[in-house]
Amino acid sequence: MRLEIESIDIKDIREGPETRAREGVLSINPKELEELILKDPRIRSVEIGLVKPGENVRILNICDVVQPRCKTDPEDADFPGFIGRMQTAGSGRTRSLRGIAVIVSNPGTNRKETGVLDMCGPIAEKSPYGKMKNVSIAPTIADGVDERDFEDAVKIAGLATAVYLARAAEEHPVDEVEVFDLDIPKIDPASPLPRVAFYYQMYTPQFDYLATSDPCFYGTHVRNLTPTILHPNEVLDGGVVGWNVVKAIDTYSIQNHGIIKELYRRHGRDLNFVGVIGVCANTEPASRIRCAFMAASLVKNVLGADGVILAKVTGGMPHIDLAVAGEECEKLGVKTAIFTQPLTPFGTLSDTILFNAPCLDLIIAASATFERTKIPWKAEKFLGGTAETRIFCPDPIVQYAGDPVIDIEEYLLPGVLDCTGNARVIVKEY
Amino acid sequence: MGEKKLRVVNYLNQFFGQIGGEDKAVLGFMVKDGPVGPGLALQKALGDRAEIVATVICGDDYFAENADGNAKEGARLVAAYQPDIFFAGPSFAGGRYGVACGAMCKEVGAELGIPVITAMNEENPGVDLYRKYAFICKAPNIARGIPELAGTMVRLAFRLLSDEREEDLVAWENLPKPSEYNYFSRNLLRNELCGKSIAERAVEKLLAKLQGKPFESEVTPPVFEKIPPPLPLRDLSTCEIALISDGGLVPKGNPTGLATRSNLKWGAYDIEELFQAWEVAHAGYFNDHVLNRPDRLVPYDALRELVEEGKVGKLHGTFFSTSGNCTVTKRCGEIGEEIGAEILRRGTIAGAILTST
Repeated sequence: MRLEIESIDIKDIREGPETRAREGVLSINPKELEELILKDPRIRSVEIGLVKPGENVRILNICDVVQPRCKTDPEDADFPGFIGRMQTAGSGRTRSLRGIAVIVSNPGTNRKETGVLDMCGPIAEKSPYGKMKNVSIAPTIADGVDERDFEDAVKIAGLATAVYLARAAEEHPVDEVEVFDLDIPKIDPASPLPRVAFYYQMYTPQFDYLATSDPCFYGTHVRNLTPTILHPNEVLDGGVVGWNVVKAIDTYSIQNHGIIKELYRRHGRDLNFVGVIGVCANTEPASRIRCAFMAASLVKNVLGADGVILAKVTGGMPHIDLAVAGEECEKLGVKTAIFTQPLTPFGTLSDTILFNAPCLDLIIAASATFERTKIPWKAEKFLGGTAETRIFCPDPIVQYAGDPVIDIEEYLLPGVLDCTGNARVIVKEY
Repeated sequence: MGEKKLRVVNYLNQFFGQIGGEDKAVLGFMVKDGPVGPGLALQKALGDRAEIVATVICGDDYFAENADGNAKEGARLVAAYQPDIFFAGPSFAGGRYGVACGAMCKEVGAELGIPVITAMNEENPGVDLYRKYAFICKAPNIARGIPELAGTMVRLAFRLLSDEREEDLVAWENLPKPSEYNYFSRNLLRNELCGKSIAERAVEKLLAKLQGKPFESEVTPPVFEKIPPPLPLRDLSTCEIALISDGGLVPKGNPTGLATRSNLKWGAYDIEELFQAWEVAHAGYFNDHVLNRPDRLVPYDALRELVEEGKVGKLHGTFFSTSGNCTVTKRCGEIGEEIGAEILRRGTIAGAILTST
């Protein structure tokens, strides 16, 4: 499978009579974008804002962040299963805009935990999205629409906006072309390089809002998914997207998946990248063990891997799925590197490990997603909410978006931590 | 106008306080003006910015007899001098002395909220007892290199008094790096910026493991203790049973203030009142079922039926509740011991049912 990502660097964005990129400047017609978003009858209205680094703006109720991308061949589907027809993602050419993101908010959400991004101050310094030119969209719900159904509409509006913006750069010169060309069946079985697979936990149902799972895989949810083999390009090119809420995961980070890109970088040189096992965390022990055995067997007996990286999504329980699968891999002779995300700021690193398996001897401290930080920065202008929007804190304290200081967990700050491995962060004892 | 000179108090034992050897270890507290013994090295390192105004001295045996009470008395003596910085020791590998330094730091830190700094060798039992409460610089196991050690302690003290934030911390706090300031980590975990991404480190380390080369795990896996189950109750029809849960079920308004994540508290609530008006303080599972019907977390309905049928003797009137979500295992153990002690203290409870999420 061969995917070419053609990147165009966007240096500035502005409102204009037509939506078009010229010489690195993306002009956007908000009226046209609004009409596109309002085509979905589940959406009553939408607030659209263009923001740049350094502006005193706090964006609230964020549920996703998306990199503007589209397929260049009109026959190809964008985000298949979500907005385009079903087709296998990951082949052909994709246009991608850099330096710009779509920030998707659900201002009427009843969820307690939602994302926050500032365009200035400490959050902007820590998040790559705080250094980009962003298009914020914040749809409101139409009468009679179910809350969860509307969440899907909001997410799809974000994906559609990303495609719309990328299409506006047609004919614009390309700044860089990255080629992701991996023909897994043709990898030489006699190659001396180790064969490495990636165990990719895409979702956990433990936080399911109103007992419904978020769709994140070709238009569907993965709650009952048994481990399945994916080509890594499917992940990079829109087959997998973010959840209906930011939890150190969003579509942008998946489109630029850190582990997949790193395995690609070293493919053919230090290792052979033999594929991705897509999995979902399990809330029941029986399904957890079933999935662990299936994943380990796919890694060993189907992909023929010598080594596997097991990466997790935010949460405590997903550690257990990872550990049970990792143990089975080691039993089959596949060497593992397993992620952990310490859940508390107290104790030693060893105190925070939730599994008990001596064979899992290579543990990566893949950031403490629930770490808290105090943001001493007062916002003047708000998108996706107001100064009175409540900001979640696990302690029973009441705080609002307009407060001079907010106390927030880092997994709610999109881009600061990232479950796909892009963050340059380690957990250390202090 | 120059900056106001910072005030410093130092704690020493009878030996370093130049009172005498082991024969004087039974002596109680005394205070000398200005620096004494190793305090002279500390004063030299402090330079003109700060002045050791007093040295509080106590015999090691005397202190060890009642460490907590003596720390309170010592802290009162320290507080009288209104210091900006408190140093204890250094105590090297001295066990009783190390515990005294640690206890003094803990009390002074809690009472005055100023930087409390001591120095010990890793073999000193004071390190593990007090690392949470004090900045303990790394010292050799015998009393040598005092000038360098004094320099380390003073550098750390000035750093803590500055408003400098640690730029490598994602949370951007004023928390110096243990490796840079040569102190024992204080049982805190922090996200730190790193030259390599999580993905780069994972692939690099896995390749080393695959090639049979040495590789360094970023976490040393723990070894868990095995706990044998207690003997079963013989006849439930004569037993009083208590209900416990870590699912975060609390009376409406969450009066004890349990946190929804990383909670450290537990509460004891009248079960009948709680089942009139309740909420859930737990962000680690999907709460709706429990909000609709708390009996599905805490089997109050089933147990009442069993009592009516005579199969269970009595239901204890208090429900013990905590929120077990991302709480470090050590604190979970303590909460268990605290609830267990309370249940034993009540004297009538024969067994407990603990439901979890």
